[in-house]
Amino acid sequence: MKSEELKNQEYKYGFTTEIENFKAPKGLSEETIRFISKIKKEPKWMLEWRLKAFNRLNVLKEPNWQKPKYPKIDYQNLYYYSAPKSMKDKPKSLDEVDPKLLETYNKLGIPLNEQKKLSGVAVDAVFDSVSVATTFKGELDKKGIIFCPISEAIQKHPELVRKYLGSVIPISDHYFATLNSAVFTDGSFVYIPPNTRCPMELSTYFRINASETGQFERTLIIADKGSYVSYLEGCTAPMRDENQLHAANVELVALDDAEIKYSTVQNWYPGDKDGVGGIYNFVTKRGACRGKNSKISWTQVETGSAITWKYPSCILQGDNSVGEFYSIAITNNHQKADTGTKMIHLGKNTKSKIISKGISAGKADNTYRGLVDIGSKASNSRNYTQCDSLLMGNKCGAHTVPYIKNKNSSSTVEHEATTSKINEDQLFYCNQRGLNQEEAVSLIVNGFCKEVLQQLPMEFAVEAQKLVSISLEGSVG
Amino acid sequence: MEELFNINLDKIPISSKKEKSSRKKNLEIFLESGFPNKKDEDWKFTDFNLIIKKNFRNINNNFDFSSERKIEFINEIDHNNIVMVNGLYKSSDLKFEEKEKVKIESLKPVEETNVQSNNNLYCLNKALSLGGFCLEIQDNYKCKKPIIIYNYSTSNLDNKIINNSNKIKLNQNSELTLIEYNINEKSKFIKNTFENVEINDNSVLKSITIQKRKSDGYFYKNISGTQGYNSSYQNFILSSGLKFNKIELDINLNKENSNCYVISGLCLGKGEHQEIKTRVNHLAPRCKSYQKIKNVLENDSNGVYQGKIFVKDIAQKTDAYQLSKALILDDQAEFNAKPELEIYADDVKCSHGSTSGSIDPEAIYYLKTRGIEQSIAKKLLINGFLNEIFENIPETKLKALLEKSIEEQIDGI
Repeated sequence: MKSEELKNQEYKYGFTTEIENFKAPKGLSEETIRFISKIKKEPKWMLEWRLKAFNRLNVLKEPNWQKPKYPKIDYQNLYYYSAPKSMKDKPKSLDEVDPKLLETYNKLGIPLNEQKKLSGVAVDAVFDSVSVATTFKGELDKKGIIFCPISEAIQKHPELVRKYLGSVIPISDHYFATLNSAVFTDGSFVYIPPNTRCPMELSTYFRINASETGQFERTLIIADKGSYVSYLEGCTAPMRDENQLHAANVELVALDDAEIKYSTVQNWYPGDKDGVGGIYNFVTKRGACRGKNSKISWTQVETGSAITWKYPSCILQGDNSVGEFYSIAITNNHQKADTGTKMIHLGKNTKSKIISKGISAGKADNTYRGLVDIGSKASNSRNYTQCDSLLMGNKCGAHTVPYIKNKNSSSTVEHEATTSKINEDQLFYCNQRGLNQEEAVSLIVNGFCKEVLQQLPMEFAVEAQKLVSISLEGSVG
Repeated sequence: MEELFNINLDKIPISSKKEKSSRKKNLEIFLESGFPNKKDEDWKFTDFNLIIKKNFRNINNNFDFSSERKIEFINEIDHNNIVMVNGLYKSSDLKFEEKEKVKIESLKPVEETNVQSNNNLYCLNKALSLGGFCLEIQDNYKCKKPIIIYNYSTSNLDNKIINNSNKIKLNQNSELTLIEYNINEKSKFIKNTFENVEINDNSVLKSITIQKRKSDGYFYKNISGTQGYNSSYQNFILSSGLKFNKIELDINLNKENSNCYVISGLCLGKGEHQEIKTRVNHLAPRCKSYQKIKNVLENDSNGVYQGKIFVKDIAQKTDAYQLSKALILDDQAEFNAKPELEIYADDVKCSHGSTSGSIDPEAIYYLKTRGIEQSIAKKLLINGFLNEIFENIPETKLKALLEKSIEEQIDGI
C-alpha cells in the first residue's frame, strides 16, 4: 500500500446509518431485563436466568486491577436494547430486510445478498441488539448444523441452550460477564452435530450503530464429538465522541475429538488522534476442551477500540486436548490494550501454545497478561509461550505480565518474551531498496506478525494485513 | 480461642512523644488489615495471612536479646564479623580493615529513612522495630576481606515477632563483600526485616545470603536500594531450609551505567516456601540488570518468583534480563512465576524467560549406563543445574564456600 493511501485512510467504517431505532428504556434495572426478555419472546427459564445474573450483579464490584484506567461508566445512562424499527417484526427472508440495513453491510464490505449466492462464508450479521440476517441457512440445515441468532436458538433449541449456556462462563463469573448474562441481546449460536465437518466458514459481523448504546452480544458454539468448525468474527462501529461499551461473552465447548477454530478481527472505532471517543471492548471469551483429543484455537487481530480488555482462554479438561492462542494487538495514538490468554491444564497430556505480538505506537499502552496453570493431575503437559513486543517511539509503553503456575513434575512450561524497537539495519536495507520509511515499517511489522497472520483463514488474512498497515499510519518518524 | 496478636508497645524504649504516637498509629494501620493476603498483587501466590493464622497464636514482640550459645565462626575464609542476636546489633570485629574507614554501629529505629507506603508489613516494622545495624564505608576505600554478618536467633522465640531495620551505605568509589549468615535455633517465630542500601557513584556491593541448618522461622525481608553512577550491586541468595522466606528487592538505578544482579539458587525440601520478589527500576540510560533464579523443588515445597523490570522513558539503551528456571521433582511441589516487564523506552533490550519441568530422564539414563546410581545421578544433575549461577564469582575461596552451601542444600532434601 502506498504511503499517500495510508495517510488518507482514517477509520473508514466510521459512518452512521440513519435508521429509526426502537430502544429499551434507558438504564439498568429489572424492568429493562424483563423488557428485553419480553421483546425476544423468551421462555420463563431464560428470564429467570437473566434475573439471577442481575441479582448477582448487585453483589459484584467492577474490577479495577487492569492497566488501562477509564472514567467510571454510568450504567444507568445506557440503552441496553436498540434495534432498527424495521426489525420489530422479524423478516422471514433477506428480501424483506430493510434496504438501508443491507446497504450498511455493503458499505462494510459484507454484501449479504451476494453472500447468499456465492458459496464460501455463512454470515450472521448483528446490528446493535438484533441479528439482521443469517445466510446459507438451507445448506447448513442439510448437514444438521445449527447456525442462527441466539435469540432464535433459545426458542427453537432450548435443550441445547439450557445445557451449555453459562457452563463455561458461569453467571456469577465477574462483573462484565455477569452484566452480559443479565442483559445480552443477540449473538450467534452454532451447533455442529457429531462427526460433521462444517463445509464453510461461519462468520458473525457485529456493528454498533445507535449512540448511547451498549452492545452485549453472546455467542455459544458447541462442537459435538468428532466435528470441526471454523468461526470468524468481525466488528466495526461509527465514529462518535462518546465512549461506547461493548461487553460480549463468547463460550466454546469442544467435545471428544472436536475442533473449534475461532478467529477475530476486531476493528471497533479506536477514538480520534487525541483519544476522544472510541469503544470500550471488555469481552469475556472462554473455551472448554471437555472431551478427549479436543482442540480450541483462538486467533485475534486487535487493531480497534479505545480500550481492549480481554483474555480468550482455554480450559483443557479432556486428556490430550490442545489449546492455542495467536494474537496481534496493535495500539496507536491513545489506544490501550490489556489482552492475553489463560491456559488451564487439567487433563493429562494437554498441550498449549501462546504466540502474542504486541505493537505499540504513538502514546499507546499495550499489555500482555496471561496465565498458564498446570494442575497437579495434568501429567506430561506442555506449554510454550512467546510474547514479543515492538515499540515505536518513547511515548508509548509495552508491558508483559505472565503468570506461570506449575504443580506437576512431568510437565514442562516454557516462556519467552522480548521487547525491542524496529531494527535500524532492517529499515536501512528496505530504504536502500527504494521503499520509503512507512512502506518499510509496514513490511517489517507484517513480517513480525506473520506467525499469527498465517493462522487466519484466507478471507481474513488479506483484510488483517491491510489493517496492520493502516493502524500504524502516522506513527513513523 | 486465643487472639492472633498480643502486641505490647509499652515496653519499647521511647525517646520522644512523637515517636510514641507514630508507633501507635502504624500499629493501628497494621492491625486494621493484618498480614497481607492473596488479594494483594504482591502476595498473589502466597497467602501470608493464612500461613500465619495456621501456625501462630498470641503473637507478641520480643525483648530478650541474650545469647545462650557461643557462635561458631566460619573458618574457611578470612573475614570480619558482625554478630546480631534476634535482630539487634551485639558485637563486631573488623580486624582486617582500617578503623576509621568502616563505621559500624547500632541503628536507632528513629534514624530509619526507608520510604515506602502501602506495604502493611512496613507499618508493622515501623511500629515495633527496635533497630539493627548501620554500616558505612568511607570514600575511596575498598574492604580487604568480606564482612560476615552472623544473624543468630535464640531458641526461646516461639510465637514471637522480631522487627528490625538495617542500613548499609557505600560512599563513592568503595567496595564491600557482605555475607549474611543466618543461624537459627529451633523455635517458631516471625522476623520482619527492612533494609536500606545506598550505593554511591563507582562503588560495588556484593551481598550474599546463606543459611546454616533448617529453621522453623518465618522470614520476610525487604531491601530497598538506590544506586549511583557506574555502581554495581550483586545479590546472591542461597537461603533455603526455611519454613517460609520471602525476600523483596526494590532497586532504583538512579544514575547512568549502573548495574544490578540478582542471582539465586535454591533447593527446597518438605514444607518449605521460598519467594523472591524483585523490582528493578531503570531510571537512567545505559543501565544493566540481570536476574537469574533457579529453584529445585522436592516434596511439597513451594517456590515463587515475582520479578519486575520497569524502564522509564528516558532510560534508553537499557539492557535488562530475567530468567527463572525450576526443576519440579514431585507432583506435590509447586512453582509459580510472574516475570513482568513494564517498558516505556523504545531503544532497549529487554527479555525474560521462564521454564519449569523435571529432570531429563535421558540424562539420568546416560549416567546410569556409566555405572552411576540413580540417586547419585540425580544429585549430580541438580548440582549442575544450580552450580551454573556461580559463573561470575572470581574469588575462589568464596566460590568454594557457596558451592559447599549448595551441596549441603542438596544433601538436605
